Amino acid sequence: MQPKFRRLANAALLLLVISGASVVTLAQSAPRRIEITASQFSFAPGDITLKKGQPVLLVLKSQDVAHGLRVRELNVALKVNEHGTTQVQFTPQKAGDFVGHCFVFCGKGHGSMVLTFHVVN
Amino acid sequence: MTFVKHHVFIGNKNQKNPLANNAEALADGKQAFSHYCVACHGNDGQNTGVPFVDHISPPIPSLASPEVQSYSDGQLKTILDYGIQPSGMPGSKGVLSDDELWSIIIFLRHLPPAGSQGVPEMYTH
Repeated sequence: MQPKFRRLANAALLLLVISGASVVTLAQSAPRRIEITASQFSFAPGDITLKKGQPVLLVLKSQDVAHGLRVRELNVALKVNEHGTTQVQFTPQKAGDFVGHCFVFCGKGHGSMVLTFHVVN
Repeated sequence: MTFVKHHVFIGNKNQKNPLANNAEALADGKQAFSHYCVACHGNDGQNTGVPFVDHISPPIPSLASPEVQSYSDGQLKTILDYGIQPSGMPGSKGVLSDDELWSIIIFLRHLPPAGSQGVPEMYTH
């Protein structure tokens, strides 16, 4: 191979390695998207399994009035307006079962709006 | 009657509040209290601005009174969950979450001075 072509081939190989590494990095850091629908008086789904250390993008949608979702142990709290959508990103750092509650008063069954995150190793 | 309530009727004396006693829980408790309790107990938990407070029997106690404050946290949780019959105190289990009810108990332990929170908004029109 002529020197000129060898340099070109090396440059192409280097580019390939760099772009491949970027894809791997992106794939590793891209959060897992989870959609939760809130309505009087439940969350759907009501049970969600997460992996410890894996970033999560929680998207909360309201089908009716304003709601909230708070999980104290995971340091997660978000509010959603009437018929609105909101989101938050977090990374669970400990394994276990963690119960989230609606924390925006939404009516007589408000206290029964719970959701459980199962965080596994 | 107070003795009987404290020692016989209201159980759950030994249950501890699972929430940390901190500013965040206190703010949450104040907010939760404002949803469901202020109509009878006022913003301050001491009946300020409640128009029917002198016309109800049995009377609505000040939540800052020794009669109320001498209940344990667990007993207060039972009262919040199930109410007190035959008084007008309703149960809130299912209406408010356990998390909110425990935060209300933290608020009850740190009530603001009587009259300092104004009149509940529902009575200002």
